[in-house]
Amino acid sequence: MGTMGLALPWEARISHAGAQRGRVDPAETTSEVSRAATQVSSDDSALAAACQAGDLRAFERLYQLHGSRMKSMARNLLGTTSDAEDAVQDTFLKIQRSIATFRGQSSFATWSFRILINTCYDLRRSRMRKKEVSQHEPQAPEAAPRLEPRAPAAHPSLKLALERAVGQLTRQQREVFLMYEVEGMRHSEIAGVLEISETASKNTLFQAKKNLRQVLEAPRSSAAEAR
Amino acid sequence: MNITCNDRERIFLDGTPEEWAALEAHASNCSTCREELAAGKNLSVAASELHEEWDSPSLWPRIERALAEQSASAKTSWWERLLGSWNLTSLEWQTATAALLLVLLTGTAVWIASHRSAGDPFAGSLLKDPAVRNVEKAEAAYEEAIDKLDAQARPQLDKASTPLMTSYREKLQVLDSAIADLKSQAGINPANGHLRRQLLAMYHEKQETLEEFLEAKQ
Repeated sequence: MGTMGLALPWEARISHAGAQRGRVDPAETTSEVSRAATQVSSDDSALAAACQAGDLRAFERLYQLHGSRMKSMARNLLGTTSDAEDAVQDTFLKIQRSIATFRGQSSFATWSFRILINTCYDLRRSRMRKKEVSQHEPQAPEAAPRLEPRAPAAHPSLKLALERAVGQLTRQQREVFLMYEVEGMRHSEIAGVLEISETASKNTLFQAKKNLRQVLEAPRSSAAEAR
Repeated sequence: MNITCNDRERIFLDGTPEEWAALEAHASNCSTCREELAAGKNLSVAASELHEEWDSPSLWPRIERALAEQSASAKTSWWERLLGSWNLTSLEWQTATAALLLVLLTGTAVWIASHRSAGDPFAGSLLKDPAVRNVEKAEAAYEEAIDKLDAQARPQLDKASTPLMTSYREKLQVLDSAIADLKSQAGINPANGHLRRQLLAMYHEKQETLEEFLEAKQ
């Protein structure tokens, strides 16, 4: 298997992908991780309790802490920023409606992300139904979202290709890949959101990357054969 | 740590930080592993660029407003939710309500009937089947005995010449007429104890009248 045609200083970018957005670096010591986890868990429980009490400031805090990642995740699942914002709003309303059922079996953030992902798929199905009614053309419910153009980046063609390739993954592969590689979540968090084991999360990510590489490298192989 | 090309996929899947470091050290001398590492990490770099952040200053105020509205509507309609949780419009509830009404109506009717019968002079006048049979048997025997008495008195009655004898005959004719009438009604409603008592009284009256007539004749 060959490499993708990227000439990026990957050593420098990996830390950005992981630690910068909250994923605990593997090099961190166990005690540091433990202390941090205890603090996060305590804050998370306090936030959940405040939301259960109906405190709107607690919801605002949740938005401040996770709103950006929620929007980005929704944007990658739905394709447009306006749909992403609608999904985030619906998610907060659903959180408020069902906060009484939160028993703390997972973290509040994990629970909120689970609601976000389900809301994104609900919204996508709803949008597709409306589109079907207007066009009278049936579409696959799990079809990849049509992404709106993003702001120019260093490698716009690769990003576009990657977006399309991600859209071809299975639903679980797409979710795990987006949460781990794009949003920087840990396997333990992903496992909680998707209600799977950490091992399943790791296996799914591995398979997703393998599939993505196959999709992204296929045109290069064809071009090489043509030459 | 000694790493070979065969360990690469396992480390990609679930390698420890030490194993990753050892793989990178191995990749410096192995072109295949170097390419694989670069490809995997470049994919991660490209993926990280899919993370997008944008300003949306109106989003939180919009969410906050919607949350406040939802919270307000939830507070005002708590009693509706309480009733809703009972789901009074369901078929089960309608059936249960109808059954309850039926039980109440039946109970009320039974209570009214029992209290009305307590003040009824005819209370207990409805005879059960064995009682009816016993009464009819006694009546038949009584009627037969009176008929024998009537047979003794009949010749003198038919030849009655005095006003007293004529009065006895007319009285016995009225009693016979009443007995026939009561027997007819008792045939229609044999369990009616009141009719039976009236009939008995008539028979008793006829018996006394016949006995008086026979005594007067002697």
